[in-house]
Formats: sequence, structure tokens, C-alpha cells
Amino acid sequence: MKMNSMIKITSLAIAITGLFSGIATAQDQSQALGKSEATIELSYYKKTDMSKTAVAVIKAKNNDGKFVSAKNARVNFYVMHDKEQQLLKNVNTDNNGQAVIMLQKDLPLDEDLSFTIVAKIENDNLYEDAEEQVHYKDANLTLNLNPNDTARLVTAKVTEIGKDGKEIPVKGAEVKFYVHRLFGIMPATDDNTITTDEKGEASFAFPKNIPGDTKGVIIVAARMEDNEQFGNVENKATASWGTVLAMDKDPFPRALWEPYAPLPLVITISTLFGGVWFIYFFIFFQLRKIKKEKQLKMR
Amino acid sequence: MATEKYNLKQEIETVREDCLRPTQKWGRSTQTWIGCLLIVMGWGLYCYIHQLRDGLGVTAMRDYVSWGLYISTFIFFIGISHSGTLVSAILRITKQEWRRPITRSAELLTFVSLLFGGIIPIIDLGRPDRLPNLVLFGRIQSPLMWDIIAICTYLVGSTLFLFLPMIPDMALCRDRLTVCDSPFKKFKKWLYTKMAIGWKGTKSQWHRLELTMTIMTIVIIPVAVSVHTVVSYIFAMTLRPGWNSTVFGPYFVAGALYSGSAGVVLGMAAFRKLYHLEKYITPRHFDLMGRIVLALTLIYAYLNLNEYWIPAYNMVTAEGHLLSDLFYGSYSKAFWTCQFGTVLLPIIIMSIPKGRTVTILTITCIIIVAGAWVKRYLIVVPTLLHPFMPIQEVPGTWSSYFPNYVEFSVTAACLAGIFLVITLFSKLFPMMAVWEVEKGILIEHDKQAAIELRTKREAEEAKIMGKRLKTGFEPLK
Amino acid sequence: MQEDNKQNNKTDRRNFLRKSLITGSILTAGAIGLEKVFPGEKDSGEKVKVLTPDGKVYVASSEHLKEYRPPPVTNAEARKGIANKKFVMVIDLAKCDGCKTCTVACQAMHFTESDREWIKVFKMQDADATAPYFFPKPCFHCDNPPCTKVCPVNATFKRQDGIVLIDNERCIGCRMCMAACPYSTRFFNWSHPDPKQTAAVGNTPYSPEQSVPRRMGTVEKCDFCPDMIRQGKMPACVSGCPMDAIYFGDQNEDAVTNASGVTVKLSQLLEDNAGYRHLEELGTKPRVYYLPPKNRKYPIPDMKSVGNEKKEKKHIEMDMGIMQM
Repeated sequence: MKMNSMIKITSLAIAITGLFSGIATAQDQSQALGKSEATIELSYYKKTDMSKTAVAVIKAKNNDGKFVSAKNARVNFYVMHDKEQQLLKNVNTDNNGQAVIMLQKDLPLDEDLSFTIVAKIENDNLYEDAEEQVHYKDANLTLNLNPNDTARLVTAKVTEIGKDGKEIPVKGAEVKFYVHRLFGIMPATDDNTITTDEKGEASFAFPKNIPGDTKGVIIVAARMEDNEQFGNVENKATASWGTVLAMDKDPFPRALWEPYAPLPLVITISTLFGGVWFIYFFIFFQLRKIKKEKQLKMR
Repeated sequence: MATEKYNLKQEIETVREDCLRPTQKWGRSTQTWIGCLLIVMGWGLYCYIHQLRDGLGVTAMRDYVSWGLYISTFIFFIGISHSGTLVSAILRITKQEWRRPITRSAELLTFVSLLFGGIIPIIDLGRPDRLPNLVLFGRIQSPLMWDIIAICTYLVGSTLFLFLPMIPDMALCRDRLTVCDSPFKKFKKWLYTKMAIGWKGTKSQWHRLELTMTIMTIVIIPVAVSVHTVVSYIFAMTLRPGWNSTVFGPYFVAGALYSGSAGVVLGMAAFRKLYHLEKYITPRHFDLMGRIVLALTLIYAYLNLNEYWIPAYNMVTAEGHLLSDLFYGSYSKAFWTCQFGTVLLPIIIMSIPKGRTVTILTITCIIIVAGAWVKRYLIVVPTLLHPFMPIQEVPGTWSSYFPNYVEFSVTAACLAGIFLVITLFSKLFPMMAVWEVEKGILIEHDKQAAIELRTKREAEEAKIMGKRLKTGFEPLK
Repeated sequence: MQEDNKQNNKTDRRNFLRKSLITGSILTAGAIGLEKVFPGEKDSGEKVKVLTPDGKVYVASSEHLKEYRPPPVTNAEARKGIANKKFVMVIDLAKCDGCKTCTVACQAMHFTESDREWIKVFKMQDADATAPYFFPKPCFHCDNPPCTKVCPVNATFKRQDGIVLIDNERCIGCRMCMAACPYSTRFFNWSHPDPKQTAAVGNTPYSPEQSVPRRMGTVEKCDFCPDMIRQGKMPACVSGCPMDAIYFGDQNEDAVTNASGVTVKLSQLLEDNAGYRHLEELGTKPRVYYLPPKNRKYPIPDMKSVGNEKKEKKHIEMDMGIMQM
């Protein structure tokens, strides 16, 4: 009798444990099934105004297995400080799957004067955990040009910021030269990449026939793109190197599709129908005369 | 001589009585007819209010067939409005005496169909509450603007053209209406007096009237031609296959004259029967009008041939799709019925003298008018269903069109409105230009008297010549 | 005599009262009737006050402000356009895979119903022996616009920057422009706008540059998103294209940009790829150029499946793979 009850209790216990672990496993599995696999593409940009930004583009796998932009994914940005991750900010991705943060000017640096930015997805309801980090040094890109130079020459200097803020020229960095257009930047020529020399300088002559605005002004830019050491650095300047755009003297001339009609049309229609209405008025006048004669005797 | 004069006076008196009799009583059948018309108009008004509230989407029109029954009917009514111009103006200018009994009904048909034809584009507007924008912000480069100007000009012109010959008749009515015992009769007296504008029949008044009528006769012809030409420009000024044709102006004018003249015949037949004017509107009138309708149908058939044969020979891609649809596609039955049944068949019927008798000509003209309406529909809708860009992946209601009850009701209400105005007019005013018919009788009488005088003189001279031959003597000089 | 006068006065007063009562009730009935026939616009949503560039205050629904849309410019500015610019679009048919992301992006931007495709992707086959291709067609904003020529009230107009817009406060709904456009680009608001979309748009004052809120009985079409251009952004279809098939830019600058930000010289692009315009022989001078589908990147469309069935909006979104919350 005791054996029987012992066996019963043990088997019951095993069953209950198995049940709970089964439920726990099922929960884990279902949680894993609900979240999508996500990838992070992390980039670093330094702009003309010396501001630093980090951009994370999150792509997640959809039902068809394709990676598409992930909206509203919560991304946590950290900076490495003394081998520890310091939280900077939490940002949600926008409609295009992008999350952008501004980095502060005085980022914590390692011994080799580089900084590390980490972007993580942690404990998100929709997306699996993911992590990506970038590791760059600070660099400056300066432009030297004469806005009225007929040779249209610009010299870009790339310097690394060393100890105590000393600027060390960088040799062998690829600098690309662009001109700003309304919605984006356009390479100035097909072959717009110049490598910096020992002095850290890269010179480039802009072509002659770039259309400018009404004063012939264009905005020229130089960029280091995806440099291994420095990330993306850019600088821009205005110069009067573009061709002058002729202003519209009369943006709304007389035409069939404009608010004001061509004069021949106006004259023709006015003459034709004006003539007819003039005759009508003459007839109305005659009718009035008939009316006025009612005092006279009958025939 | 005295007996002749008596006969003439009696004849004129009979004319006046016959013309004025319909205006003097409103029988049971008239009231029933007007009642029916009012019911149709009331239902149409209800449907139109439904359209105003819920938008043009209550019709069957959608984004491809954005113009449907309303615009087809608009062209048709403007076409019918060429009737008065044709009969009154052209026959006046060519001094055709037989036109006299039928001018007023033709001019009335012009005026009324123009009135309702002008209302239909307003019914077709998506935002009729913004009508003042046409005046405030109008652009003279737009064919619609030309349309508005031309139709307004023609409306004023045809009103004048209808009103001027009415003046002496209004004076006649005014003078004959001596007993005003009911408020309605009082109203009629007031109306006649106002419309007679003090007409006393003096020489100078007649002179002015003849002058203005001559001027209007001359002016109304180019105005009428311009109206339907401008209506055709609404289509021809677009780039669409089937519409972008250089022959559209003359094509539409010919179509207007053809359907308008058939409308005149129908008016003639209706008033002849209903108001017992058989003495004045004779089978000879039908024969002559029949010849005119035949001539105009031939011109229309010729332009029709040009309009379709030239593009069919070339089969340019976009036009090719349209023509295939018209010739052997979904619109083939309607198209060929129109061409053979309402153009070719009437030509054949009217070419034989028997085809120009009263009954047969009336039936033929009904066929012509109905066919003209269907033909206008075939001009508007198939082109809209064959745009340059293919029709792909759109809701089913967009890719096909047939008018629904709202469009039919509102169109029927406009037609009923035309009949109503004609009926009311014919009950208030004489449907024949009394003074013109009288003048015709006088002219005829003078002609007869002149002929009699001549035959008398010739008989006398023959007598004298005969006498001379008998005696053999030379007559003394 | 006095009594007679009194009696007359009473009758006069009674008559006057009767007449004014009748007139008053007729006027009221008429006003109520008109109100029923032309109901006014209905308000919806929580209200917030916003200041427009020209200093006017308007009340917007807070839901609307969640979007990034700025307050619109005045009607006069919208009619003039942006000075010294001439916008142009280039569509690379070799890159278009018929996904219709451009269509859906445009519809989201303008709160349009799903059957209104302001940019419509056609499956074209020019001849029996030539290969079919996908053909996205926005409004071409022609330089010799057949639609603008025929508008009787100047409700559709061409601006100095080349864009053709519609002013739905002035349009009388005659649909002459729809008959005149050879590219089947225009749509008509046949009935009341969808109440959900009216609520989403909120109380924004109407501007031809935004084409919302829409008005019943007026015409609408692709507008090249001028309000986005004023913010330095490209139209929704251009930036929404996942294949970078659509370029947009200023012809005066001789540069066009695609969704990824790649900016190229317009004249070079057209020269290298033999750019052309659709139905050039009609003389409308369109501002949208096409690059022929040579060395196409995606398979040709199946012409057998082309019919009049309307693809469900859901399926289009699933094809695009937009992740929803």
C-alpha cells in the first residue's frame, strides 16, 4: 500500500514537472517564433558644422524571408567608456527603419583616441536581439578654395585629431568631390576621387559647365566615405563656379494654357461676338422705337 | 369685285379664328397631358436633388466614361435647335412663300430646345454652386467658354427671332380679347398687351419690324452655324481618337440641320393634327419639307462617310481600336442600325414621292430624330472607352457604361420640360404666324388677280386680232 | 369713420402679420431645404491651433499633426510656384519591377482611396513581337498641357516651376480636363470623400499644393508633391521606390536624384540610356522622361493576367513587405 502511494505521488510529481517544463519550453518557443530576425547597419557621420551623428538602419525578415525596413524598432545606443557600455539614448526607428542620434562633442575616448558606438536591440517585442558597433577616430576635413577662382580649384585637407588636439595630416585617404543639387549631391565628374598626399591634401578642379543659380553660385562638397579609421566625414563651401541661370523674364506669358489668352484669339472672339451683340442692341433700340409710337393713330 | 373682296375678308377672318381657337380653351386632354409632363418633371427633379446631395456618383458615369448621357443629350438638343434657323431664316432669305404656316413652330422649337439644351451642362456639373466662377475667372481659351458665349448669343438671337414676328399677332390677340371675366383672362390680356409693345400697325412700325426681321434673319444664320461648330470643338479640341478630327465642325452642323429639320416636320405634323390646321399645313408642305430633309440627310451621310472611312482606311493604332469596336465590337449593333436605319433608309424613303406624304414622312422623321440621339451617344461614349493608355486593373464599373435610372429620369424631365413649354406656349399664343399667313393670302390673291387681268387682256387682244384676220383690212394705226 | 379706420388698421396689421409669417416660414423652409441638399463640411477630431507662414491661425485636428505635413502656402503662392526651377522626372523602365510601392506611397501621402492610382503602373506591350514591360505613369505635367488649355475657370493651372496643379476650391466639375488629357491621368470625386480619410486629414485649410482635403464634385491628380519639395524632400513615389527606378530633380540644375540619394546629371542619363517621352507625337511636351527597358533587372510582366480585376490593396502591401506594427 505504501509502495503504491509512493509510486503514485512520484509519478504525479514527474508529470507536473514535465507539464510545467513543457509549458515553459512552449512559451520560450512561441516567444522565439513571434520575434523576427533583425540586422543593424550602423554608420557614423561628421558634418560640416562638426556635429557627429550615428545612424542605425534596422532591417527585419518578413514572412517571405526578405529583409525589409523595420518600423518602430526600439534601438539603444551606447558608447564604450572604460570598457563599459554607457547608455546614450533610446530611439525608435521611423517609417524607413532609420534611427538617428546626435553624439556629443566630447565623446569618451580610448587610449588610441578612438571611440566606439554600439547600437543594440534588446528585449524588443517584435524583433530578436541584435548588436552592432563601430569604432572610429575623430578627423577633420577642411576645404580651401577661392570663390571667384576661374580655375575652380579646391584643396581638401584631411587631418587626424591627435593628443592635445594636435592635427596630424592623413596620407592615402580617399576624398570624393561633389556638388550639391536640390535633392542630393552629385559627383562633380565621373572620376571624382582624389587620394590625399603626405600633407594630407587632395586637390580637385571642378568642371566648367555646372549649372548654378541666378548668381552662378554652387555649393561644393568633399567627403570621405566609409573610411576605415574615420567613418564618414564631409565639408562643404559655396563658390561662384556655376553657370549663371537666366531668370524667367515673364514666367506667365500669354498662351493658350496660361491665365491670359493670346491676343489674336481675344480680338477675334471679341470682334465676332461683339458685332453680333451690337446688332442685338440695335434691334432692342428699334423695339423701343416701336413701343414709343403707340400714341399714333392706326393705319 | 365686291364678292371677291368679301371672300378675301372672310378668308382672313377664318385664318384668324383657326389660329386663335387653340388659345381659347384648355380641354381635358390638354390638362391630362400637362399633368403627365409635370409628373415626369417632378420625378426628374427628385432624382436631380439626389444627385446634388450625393454627387455625380449616383449616375453610371465613372472615371473613364466621364461624360455620358447628359452630354450626348446636350449635343442632341443643341442640334435640334437648328430647326428654326433653317426653316425661318433660310426659307425667308430665299423668299419661299410656303414657309409661312410653319415658321412659328420651328422658331419655338429652336428657342425651347436651346433653353433646355443650355441647362443640361449645368446639370452635368460636379459643383453647380460654383457657377459664378465662369464669370469671375473665365478663360476665353477654353472651348467650354466659347460654348457658353455662343449658346447665350444664340439664345438671345432666337428669342428675338421668335419674338419679333409675334408682335403683330400679340396685338391681334390683345384687340380680340375684349371680355376679361376671369383672372386668367386678365392675365392673358396683360400678357398680350405687354408683348405687343404698343403695336398699332402704323407704316413706320411695320417698316421697323421688317428691318429688324431682315437683320435678324441674316445674323441668325452665322450665329447658328457657330453654335454647333463650337459645341463640336469641345470634342475636336481634345487629342482623343474619334474626336480629334478636322471635319467635326461641318459634321456637327450638318447633323444639327438634319435632325433639326426632322424636328420641324414633327412639329408641323403635331400641330396640324392637334389644332386642325390641315387647311394651312398641306401635304405640299410635307412634300417640300421632305425634300429639304432629304437634301440635308444626304449632306449628313456624306460627312458621316468622310468621318469614318478615312480613319478606317488608315487604322492608326488608337483609332483602330475605336473603329473595331464600332464596326464589329460591342457598339456595332447600335452603329450599323444608326447608319442604315436612320440615315440610309430615310434617304431611300424620302427619295420616292410617296415617302414624302404626311404619315410616312412623320414616321421617317421620328426615326431620324431618335437615330440622331443614339448617334450623338455613339460619338461621346465609345471614344471615352478607348483612351491612349490601356484600361487595366480598374473597378468593373469604370470599364463599361450604360446610363442608369438617374440619368434617364433627368433627361426625360428635360424632354418633358421641352414639351411642357411648347404646350403652354401653343395654348397662350397662336402657333401660326397669323399676319404672315394673311400676307401670304394677300400676295396669292394679288397674284391671282394679276394673272386674271392678264388673261382677260390677252383674250381681248386675241379677239381683236381674230376680227382683223376675218376682214382682211389693216387696222388703223 | 373712426371705427372704420380702426377696422382697416386691424385688417392691415393682420394682413401684414400673415404675409410676414408666410414669407418667414418659406425662407426658413428654403434654408433648411438647402442645408439638407448642400450639407456643410463636418468637423472631427481633437483641435489644436497652428500658425501658417502668412500669419493666419487655423485649427487642425491633433491626429493630423502627428504627420510631418507643414501648414500650406497661400493660394496665390501655390499658383505662382517656386521661381527659377523646372521640375522633371525620369523613370527607368529597366529597373521597374511592377511592385506598385510608388502607388501605395502616393495614396498614403494624399489619403487617397485605393482605386485612385495617381501614379499607375501599367503592363505595356507595344506590339505583339516586342517584350512587355512595367510602365509607371504619374501625371506628366506637360509644357503644352491639353488639360490646362480647356479649363473654363482656371481651376487647373501651370506654375512657373512646370508643375500643373488643381485648385479644388474653384473647380466646377465640368470634367473637360478629363476628356482632354490623353494619358488618363485625372480622377473625379464622384461622391463624398471617405469619412475615415476626412477624419485623418482633419481641418487643414485646403491648398492646391497638398490636394487635401478633397472636395466632392472636383477633379484630382498627381501633383508632384509641391509641399514636400518646399521642404527639400522628393515626391512620395520617388522616395518610396525600392528599386530606385524613379528620379526627380530640377531641369535647370541638370540633375536628378533617386530614392537612395544617387544624383546624376540629367542630360547624361538621358543620353546614355536613350531617354524618351511617352506619346511624344501628341505634342504635349511632357516633363517625365522614360529610359527604355534595356538590360532589365526584373522579369517581364505576364500579359495574360492583365484584366480589369482590381488588385486588393492588402496584396500589394504584402508584396512590398512593409512591416506593420
